[in-house]
Amino acid sequence: MTKPDNKTVLVVDDEEDVRKYLSMALSDAGFNVLTATSGIEALDVMKKETPDMISLDLVMPKGSGVRFYRELKKNKAWAGIPILIVTGHARDDVGKADLKELTMSGAGIYLEKPVKPNRYIAAIKQLLGMDTTEDETETARQVQMQNELKNMIDDADPETLRKLQELIKKQKE
Amino acid sequence: MSSSAKKKTPGLEEWMYHSLFQQVPFNVAIIDRDYNIVSANDNFTEYFGQWRGRKCYKVYKNLDQPCLGCNARLTFEDAQPRLSDESGVDQHGKEAHYVVHIAPLRKRKGATVKYIIEMSRDIVETKNWQMEYQLLFERVPCYITVIDRNYKIIRANEAFRKNFGDVIGRRCFEVYKKRKTKCPNCPASRTFRDGQVHRSQQVGIKKGGEQAHYVLTTSPLGRQADQIAHVIEMSTDISDVKKLEKEVLEAERLGAVGQTVAGLAHSIKNILMGLEGGMYIMGRGLEVNDRDKLDQGWEMLERNFNKTTSLVRDFLSFAKGRMPELEMVNPNRLVEEIIGLYQAIAADVGVALKADLNPRAHSVPLDPKGIHTCLTNLVSNAIDACEMSDNKHGEVCISTTDKKGVLSFIVSDNGTGMDSEIKGKVFTTFFTTKGGKGTGLGLLTTRKIVKEHGGRISVSSKPSEGTRFRIAFPKSRLNALYKEEKSK
Repeated sequence: MTKPDNKTVLVVDDEEDVRKYLSMALSDAGFNVLTATSGIEALDVMKKETPDMISLDLVMPKGSGVRFYRELKKNKAWAGIPILIVTGHARDDVGKADLKELTMSGAGIYLEKPVKPNRYIAAIKQLLGMDTTEDETETARQVQMQNELKNMIDDADPETLRKLQELIKKQKE
Repeated sequence: MSSSAKKKTPGLEEWMYHSLFQQVPFNVAIIDRDYNIVSANDNFTEYFGQWRGRKCYKVYKNLDQPCLGCNARLTFEDAQPRLSDESGVDQHGKEAHYVVHIAPLRKRKGATVKYIIEMSRDIVETKNWQMEYQLLFERVPCYITVIDRNYKIIRANEAFRKNFGDVIGRRCFEVYKKRKTKCPNCPASRTFRDGQVHRSQQVGIKKGGEQAHYVLTTSPLGRQADQIAHVIEMSTDISDVKKLEKEVLEAERLGAVGQTVAGLAHSIKNILMGLEGGMYIMGRGLEVNDRDKLDQGWEMLERNFNKTTSLVRDFLSFAKGRMPELEMVNPNRLVEEIIGLYQAIAADVGVALKADLNPRAHSVPLDPKGIHTCLTNLVSNAIDACEMSDNKHGEVCISTTDKKGVLSFIVSDNGTGMDSEIKGKVFTTFFTTKGGKGTGLGLLTTRKIVKEHGGRISVSSKPSEGTRFRIAFPKSRLNALYKEEKSK
């Protein structure tokens, strides 16, 4: 059975607070953590040590997430590393296209900021194929389902939306 | 004398009878009292065809008896010359329009008129032009009226009549605007006065009662100002354009609201992420009783709380719609103020702040507070870009130029620079590359202020070389804004 202390996660985010928060959550869960402030710095870090998993922000000043991702895919040793996208731009004009490119080409799942620590850890574990507690599995499943639903709602036609609304209203009654 | 004159001009008579007869640019025919054409020149033959042994009414109009109201008959009777417009057929049977001069030929005054001479000239082309102009006047898709000095409409085209009703003889102000008296600032009266063309936007009332927005041009009919008897009023209906304008504005406003809300949501998400992080770290600190973690968590909470404050402040300043309050100010003075404010801040992070001022700059109407905000935003961005870059000799330069009537402020740095992807997003609401430091409203606010001044903002940048922002103001627009503001 894989244990977190055998696994290294690279956290890429330009905001110091976010890096500090996510790395602390990860190390508290027992993971080894590397950090980088941009896509460019992340590539430098990876040349020294290859992580098992990358937690990636999308919009960053030096080397955006999507560019970093394209670089990863060029390198055979890196192309298979699972990626968890953590972004605040999931549903606006700045990040939507990038996110679509990444999720369509199989970059795992994404979490929308702000993220709860247990959701974050559950998603990381799920992507690494690690055993999770029942609670974590449920959370991860829920997150994924919620994300999928959000995407579907974004693309849905008015008629479907109306039906969906009725369904949810009925459930509540 | 007369005999010597005759001797001096031999052949003149012959020339008179033959060459002149042939060469005058008219169709000439000589007709006797029985309407027989007895002689005609080559022009005549060419135009009307064979005439020998034929009656004039047959040749001119292909009729079998004299024309009704025949002018020739009248001249045979009273020996008076006559001039008339006639229609007939040419030698190919085509409709012909011509003007005819009729003159009596007689030996002496009082003698019976035995022959008359008819000189005619084709006016088909003139007629066609007249018809074309008439058609153009009637069908042109704008309103045209001609008014006299009493503002009475003497002519109106089809489009006008269709929209404003039967108007001939009525006063223009009654018809255009349903007024009982002359309009204030009447452009037609200005044209009557100065003989110049005047253009203005007007709102009138159509015959159905609906409003019509139109651009009106008044031009004089007459060569000199004191001789203008009529003015032509031409107007283009822009009611549809006005309606569209309103719709577009509305759509843009809604779009901007949507964008703003999305951006605001993103900024709040980021702050929430920071608060989430702070809470987590503090929670862990309490759990494991770690003073250092507690401090870190608390700091993070504080930082993100402050971010909320600056977000609200920036958002309010961006959302506040205000017209620039212009006053005469020397652009160099504004730059010097900024240099004074930022010199120390820049030096603290190892960035040199310089000015390159146009020595011939003179005062122009600007909103000093607005421009101060713009320059503050650009300069603090530039300093940040230098701070983030690997270049150890960071430098920011503010310059002023005045070329071809355009006043420019240029802020350049040798900092991180931007790739095209980021460059395309810098004017997006709430877009920031500065992580926690920025609210993503600075450049947007700057652009808004520049636009309110009638100016433009542009950016050129290369990754790891630097960035150059230019805000440019055409001075003619600044002066026009200034005049407008003063007149209010």
